[in-house]
Order: sequence, then structure tokens, then C-alpha cells
Amino acid sequence: MAIHAEPGTAAPARELSPYPTDYTSWKVMAWMGPVFLVAFFCLWGLLARNISPFPAWAEPQAVWDHYKNLRLPIMIGMSVCLTLTACYMVWSVAVSRVMERIEGAGGLWSKMEMLGGTITCAPIMTACAIWLTAAHEIDNITPGMAHTLYWFGWLLIDLAYFVTSWQIAGASIVFMRDKREKKLVPNIVGWWGWITILSFFVVSAIPFVYTGPLAFNGVISFWIAFFTWFFWIPGLSYFIIKAIPRLQAEDAAAGRFNDS
Amino acid sequence: MVVVTTERVKPRRLPGVEGVWVFIGADSVIFAILFLTFMQDRLKDPALFEASRHTLNMNLGGIDTLILLTSSWSVALAIQALKRDLIDRVPRYLFGGVLTGLMFVVSKSIEYFHKFAHGLTPGTNPFYMWYFTLTGIHLAHVLLGTSLLTFLWIRSRRGAYSRSHREVPESVASFWHLVDLLWIVLFPLLYLMKAA
Amino acid sequence: MSVWRERVTWVWLGLVVLTCVTTWGLTKEMFRPAVAVVGIFLIAAVKVRYVMLDFMELRNAPIPVRAVFEAWPFVVAAVILGFWFATPAIA
Repeated sequence: MAIHAEPGTAAPARELSPYPTDYTSWKVMAWMGPVFLVAFFCLWGLLARNISPFPAWAEPQAVWDHYKNLRLPIMIGMSVCLTLTACYMVWSVAVSRVMERIEGAGGLWSKMEMLGGTITCAPIMTACAIWLTAAHEIDNITPGMAHTLYWFGWLLIDLAYFVTSWQIAGASIVFMRDKREKKLVPNIVGWWGWITILSFFVVSAIPFVYTGPLAFNGVISFWIAFFTWFFWIPGLSYFIIKAIPRLQAEDAAAGRFNDS
Repeated sequence: MVVVTTERVKPRRLPGVEGVWVFIGADSVIFAILFLTFMQDRLKDPALFEASRHTLNMNLGGIDTLILLTSSWSVALAIQALKRDLIDRVPRYLFGGVLTGLMFVVSKSIEYFHKFAHGLTPGTNPFYMWYFTLTGIHLAHVLLGTSLLTFLWIRSRRGAYSRSHREVPESVASFWHLVDLLWIVLFPLLYLMKAA
Repeated sequence: MSVWRERVTWVWLGLVVLTCVTTWGLTKEMFRPAVAVVGIFLIAAVKVRYVMLDFMELRNAPIPVRAVFEAWPFVVAAVILGFWFATPAIA
């Protein structure tokens, strides 16, 4: 039950719909999306040399040499990236909360988005740990083991795509249902989400191909699949960050206050 | 002074919902990237690509093009009929689209089966990887489009669409025309492009 | 509405003719590869343009959108032909 006090009264109302809102924390969490992307792009992508990835057709000795030659940058890139991947989880909580303001408290898709975003961190972190281990232990492992670890990481990070698909689907569905005249998140972000989801499916080919567009370093499985996602994150983040002060203003206009 | 204009100005618009144009735009860009990458790979081994190209059935490919063009025409007629509220004519044009879409699927299936029977698979060489990948992704678009057209056809028979309710058919039609135009480029790229 | 008086029908007929020209005409041995390939892809670009303008109704679309889409077939054809000319001839 909501209790609304007149603005400016001595004892401001505490009751909010649906529960007290810490707008500052919310905004910090929303910024974690761009933080994740920058970290992932710079550390995993550039420093650890995954943009573009060492080829899927590389022989064990070539993979071993790659880890031996780039041991330090890969170790730094993968270890820090592993840690900062948690920012994606934080961001997905912020997104989920904006979704709840459209879907209702405890909404199904809002929960799905939060879970999808959080679980997405698992394959990324684990793959980073695998590649970090390969670099760390390079002098103790054979080329065959290096090759195995390389593939292990790629198969894991790529094939778990469907978790992220459901996260994105939830966001697309709910934000397109927004009845505000000027939606919190414009439809184009939702549509781009669907394009991202569709681009992921072909990645299932990676265990079976080593060259060409469908290999894990190929134009479809890497460049298109990853970059649709890379564009979705900042695209959605921009509107989430802008949505929070809008929601705060809506709350204030409705006489809903908290003391944060 | 009162100015009376007798000209009816038709505002410029994109047919269907805006989102389908985001799809069409993105799909067009993605396929353009794929065409570019195909040509890049071809640059590395033109002899192999040319030899493999000769195993493709150009006549069948040409017929496929005619099938898709006819399909697009049929769907375009459906939209024209909708715009004039000729509701009873819409289902037959949509059905024409469905039928020709199915013809394309059958034709492609026969072509793939023929390839597999001759031991030609995506793993055979880079050209075949591209051939199966490009035509495969395109075929997925054809299957989706044909399903959507079938849905439209069923709904149109119940009078669900009219001049004032044509967003959904227009959206599907726009997507279908994309499928058609992608094949217009794909066909010469894979089947007709002879080496120097 | 007479089907045979519709613009889309005439566009379709033109596209069918152009398809026959490229598939069964320009591929004949009498055309040098360069002539055939340039002809085929320019015709393909023109075909795409007509599908966009008359089937997809981009003729009535907002100008910026129409311009971007109209550019696509020609940019794609140019890139493809650029690569083709850069590719060495086979023995």
C-alpha cells in the first residue's frame, strides 16, 4: 500500500512503489555496462590479442608459440578481464530494475534478464581463466595441451551464447512494451537485440569447422556475432543511464520519495 | 487571402513497422560484409574457386532467381490489393508468394542433396564452405519468410488485413523482398562469376 | 485492379528479362570474362535497385533512407568488381 505525503511536509513519506529506490547506486550499476565493454575490448580483445583471434586452424606448436611469445600480455589481459567481467553482472541488475518499472515488480523477463546477464559472466570468466592458465603454465605443458586449452576456452565462451540470448530477449521484449510516449529505451535498441540474438545461432558451427566464415575466428562467428553484441551493450547502456533520472523525476512527480 | 490547395500530398513513409527496416538494413550490411570476405578468400585461390564453381548448376540457379522474382511480384501485388481494400484478392497473391517460396526451398534441397550425393560438403574446400554457408543462411531467410507469408495468407483469408490494417503484411513483404534481392547478388557471385 | 496494368508487373517482367540476359546470355563463351562479369554485376545492381524502389516501395520512402539503400547495390557491385579485377587470372 502506498502512502503519499504532500511534498515539503516535515516528515517525508517513506513508502515507494514498489520499494525504496537508491538512484545513485542504480546509476553506478548502469555505468558498469560501458566499463565492462571497455575492459573486455581492451584487455581480452587488444592486449590478449583476441581481436582478431589466433586462428582455429592453427597447429598445436603454433598455439604453444603464441602463448609463449605473448605470455605476459595474455596473463595481464586475461587476469584483469576475468575480474572485471563481474561488471556485466552488475550492469544487468541495473537494466533489470528499469525493466521492472515497465513490467512490474518481480517481472518474469526482468528476472530473466538479470539471471541471463549474471550467468553470462560464468563462461567468460572461466574461459579467461583457462587461457590465463595456458599462458601461466606454458613451460609446463605440451603443444597438444596448449591447443586443447585454447579450444576449451573458445568452445566455452562461444557456445554458451544462448544464456545471453535470453538476457537480450528479455530486454527487447519489455522495453518494446513501454507505454510511455517517449519510451525509456527506443525500439531500435530492441530490434538490434533481436539481430544480435539471431547472429549468435550460427556460432554453433564452431566445433565442426576450422577455416572460413564459420570458424571461431571467422567473419560470421567472430566479427559479426561479437560485434552485434558489442554494439548492443553501449546502445542499451546509454538509454538505461538516461532512464534513471527520468524515473526519479517520475517518482518525485508522483510524490514518492525516499531518503537516499 | 485564403489559399486552397487541391493537391493531395502523400507523405514519404517506409512501409510496415520501423523495426523491420532495422533488420533489413543490418542484414544488408552483414551480407555485404560476407560478399566482401568471399571475394577476399577467392583472391587467395581463384583457380580452386573457378573449378568448384563449374560444379554448380547455373540453370537451376537461374530458375531459382526467376522463382524468387515471381514470388516478390506476387507479394507486391498482395500489398497493392491491400492498399485498395480489395480484400478478397489478397489471399491468392499471398498464396502465390507461399507457393513460390516453397518451390525455392524444394529446388535448393534438391541441389544440396545432389551435392552431398557427390561427396561435396562444406568441408570440401573454401569455395564449398562459402557456397553452403551463404546459400544456407539465405535459405534460412527463405524458410522464415515463407512461414511468415503462410501466416499472413491464413490470416488474410479471415479478413484480418485491410487498407487501414496493413502494417504486418507490409513488414513481411519488405522482408521478403530483401530475401529476393540478396539472391539477386548471391546467384551471380557464386554461380556466374567466371575467372579472368 | 488489373494485374497487367500494375507497375510492379512491368518491373517484374523487366527483371525476368534481365535475369535471362545475365544467366543465359552474358555467360556465353563469346563474351570475354571481364565484359561478362562487369555486365552481370551492373545488371544485378540495377535489378536490386528496382526491387528496392518498386517492390519495397522505397520510391516513396524518406529521401535519406532511400539514398542509403539505393547506394547499397552499387557499392556492393563496385567492391565485388574491384576484387575481381585485383584477382590474378588463372592459367
